[in-house]
Amino acid sequence: MTNQMADMRTEYGKALIEIGKENPNIVVLGADTTDSLKTAGFGKQFPDRFFNVGIAEANLVTIAAGLAYAGKIAFASTYAIFLPGRCVDQIRNQIGYPTRNDNKGLNVKLVTSHGGLTVGADGGSHQQLEDIAIMRAIPNISVLIPADAISVSKLTWIISQQYGPFYMRMTRSETPVIHSESQEFEIGKGITLRDGSDCTIAACGITVKMALDAAESLKKEGISCRVLDMFSIKPIDKELLEKAARETGGIVACEEHNIMAGFGSAVAEVVSETYPVPIRRIGTQDKFGESARDNEIPLLLEKHGITSINIAKKVKEIRSKS
Amino acid sequence: MGLNYYKIKKNVLKARKLVIKGTTAAASGHPGGSFSMAEIMGCLFNKYLRFDPKNPLWEDRDRLILSKGHASPGLFSNLAVAGYFDPSEIETLRKFGSRLQGHPDLKCPGVEFCGGSLGLGLSYSIGNALAAKLDGKNYRIYTIIGDGESDEGQVWEAAMAAAKFKVDNMTVFVDRNFIQQDSYTEKIMPLDETLEGNDLSEMWKDASRWKLSDKWRAFGWNVIDIDGHRIEQIDHAIKKANQTKGVPSIIIARTIKGKGVEHMEDNPQWHGKAPKPEMAPIINAELESQFMIAPSIIAGDMSNLENEVKRCAEGRADYIHLDVMDGIFVPNTTFDHTKIKQLRPLTVIPFDTHLMINEPVKHIRDYVDAGCDIVTVHTEVCDESSFGEIKDVLQQNQVGVGLAINPDTNLPQWSHKFIADLDQLIVMSVVPGKSGQKYIESSHEKTQNLVKILKDNKFEGTIEADGGVTLDNVGQCFVDGARAFVGGSAIIGQKDVRGIIREFRNVILKSRRKLLIQKANELGGTELVNNWINLHVIGEKKNQLIQIAKELGFN
Repeated sequence: MTNQMADMRTEYGKALIEIGKENPNIVVLGADTTDSLKTAGFGKQFPDRFFNVGIAEANLVTIAAGLAYAGKIAFASTYAIFLPGRCVDQIRNQIGYPTRNDNKGLNVKLVTSHGGLTVGADGGSHQQLEDIAIMRAIPNISVLIPADAISVSKLTWIISQQYGPFYMRMTRSETPVIHSESQEFEIGKGITLRDGSDCTIAACGITVKMALDAAESLKKEGISCRVLDMFSIKPIDKELLEKAARETGGIVACEEHNIMAGFGSAVAEVVSETYPVPIRRIGTQDKFGESARDNEIPLLLEKHGITSINIAKKVKEIRSKS
Repeated sequence: MGLNYYKIKKNVLKARKLVIKGTTAAASGHPGGSFSMAEIMGCLFNKYLRFDPKNPLWEDRDRLILSKGHASPGLFSNLAVAGYFDPSEIETLRKFGSRLQGHPDLKCPGVEFCGGSLGLGLSYSIGNALAAKLDGKNYRIYTIIGDGESDEGQVWEAAMAAAKFKVDNMTVFVDRNFIQQDSYTEKIMPLDETLEGNDLSEMWKDASRWKLSDKWRAFGWNVIDIDGHRIEQIDHAIKKANQTKGVPSIIIARTIKGKGVEHMEDNPQWHGKAPKPEMAPIINAELESQFMIAPSIIAGDMSNLENEVKRCAEGRADYIHLDVMDGIFVPNTTFDHTKIKQLRPLTVIPFDTHLMINEPVKHIRDYVDAGCDIVTVHTEVCDESSFGEIKDVLQQNQVGVGLAINPDTNLPQWSHKFIADLDQLIVMSVVPGKSGQKYIESSHEKTQNLVKILKDNKFEGTIEADGGVTLDNVGQCFVDGARAFVGGSAIIGQKDVRGIIREFRNVILKSRRKLLIQKANELGGTELVNNWINLHVIGEKKNQLIQIAKELGFN
């Protein structure tokens, strides 16, 4: 891993164009945020297959559902705050619910950006901290939180080829590159980034980098941490989690999301039913965010305990209890 | 091509009865909104939608999106009639394990949209329509939205989007029945103007209060206003909508919630409530006794038939009865198909053409081409072979098939094999040939006897009483079994056609109410009679029924 940074949205936009060239059934929808989401490039290349519905997210989701019902693969994108929360009814009833024979849900890919606190300056009203909770409670919908731009690119390809509704959340700002170009991704499978025997740090999105940093600093204190990139939140890799619980005896679950019903909860559900071990959850502690300029975002994250230092602290907490 | 009026009517009736069957069996569901859109559904399923019940996912099929999903019994019943599944399956409605969910679901063949959450169907339809265009397919999207659900903001998001994307391969209906769950739409969230008091008919009468069409026009849509229970208006509107290019089209169909069952009509209580099982047979009897008024324009000014047609239209006639006389089969001469062709553009009201001519088989195609919607020929000038040919020509052209018998004629033996195919049987109650004759009294008994023969031969059409029908005898004609009534001098000879048609309807309605009270009495005695009368809570119906019951000797 280098210190290279990359933009998730740029990779998403590029991947869409490449996929669009190969598959004429790909359509892309936006809601007045297409420049920001980097889907406008697809629109330039394929104007007939690009629909900007204006500031009307419910309409965005439901038109996408109609296109998907008629055989299209519909990518609908805007900011995270405006899709899961604002359109939960449309997503549930028109994307998750409609099922014919083996096709569970409609073939819509909801890809958002600006998830979590790192939205920054726009403030608490724009910081989506509930999307995992909302989306994973809806049957048939898969939930992905990629850690870096390479993941985004690869996952965009995968979800374009795999039938069914997906929710994928990206981050506003550039993020460190975690994975190599050769990394393989599979829906429902976590990626072990670092092996370890004393504790596991299971992370998603921007917290994956924090997890790696925490593991590195703990190593200096003689604590060996396993680090998992659990980009596939639903379906979740139960085997990998059970194995981690069994082999390392404790898990710290990290997310840029409310700890209520989020990724940490999903980890706890699996572990408590397979191989119960102590668990700690890093994430917002059932509180909303607030404005922070880019250089202040670390302070905002720190306020909510989403830092590598806090992760390391929780690892030690688990170890002292076991 | 004719209107296919009778096939639509017949299947609308079948569908309505299945709605009663299904909701009664489920003890819940939404009959009111199913009935307000019944004729729209009937027109779509029996004339416009291209589909294959054996191959529900045929990729070139038209898509019907029922956005107001709570009216699912109205959709399921039509799917059953259309052959997607056996009509008996309607009794599984809303039950555990059924494909017929409380709201439309892809589990059920023929359903294209999971309805239930309101305000979504139009957006979804746009998605389907855009996909059709991308794929270069010419299938069409037909969408029915409710007026209550138009409270949802997303409807208007979709309205804007459809105009932006020039979605012209989609025809949308608003089932404007003026009622939503809590009460009248104009009380809950006015689409037109606030309703003062409880009298819905005020909204109907005063077109200046209708603002819903203006709203859609302002959103850039082609808007067509119709009476949503008139098959000919629905048909005409769909035709116009389907020909409109470059802008989306919406048909604002003014309808009556619960249409077809008096106690449900315009009554908000029947938005989401099932009839009690003991009421179902009475409701079915009521549904089976819908009736039509057909003014005969030759009783008017023969030198200005155009004006007579206009008077019929303004009078809200159900059909316009056209008596064609050739001076051979009958002594008089009136007009022929060339005149009918001239009159055709004046109105969309069905032309009920009665051919009193010799050798009708030779001329039948002319009358089809002239735009008749039903053509009736006389048994006296047909035989098995010629009538067979007439029937085939009419059916191929979606024109109703009618047979007429003179007062001194009975149904000949050869005609029995055609009875099941007949849309109409005209029982002449005067000697045909001229207007203004007196009703021949023995026609009552003759009609009553015919009903039995017809029933034995699986007749699904309508008996039309023709000749000397007046306000004094039309009630008895209804009791005899006639359901369409030709009015010559008694209607068209009157100054106020609209007023006299209303009087005819009221007399027939009274006759029908008597029959239904008697039916209730047969089934459940005075208690059922009282319970049934008590259902009629809107307007003056209850008092009128109590009065009729008294006249019949009930207390």
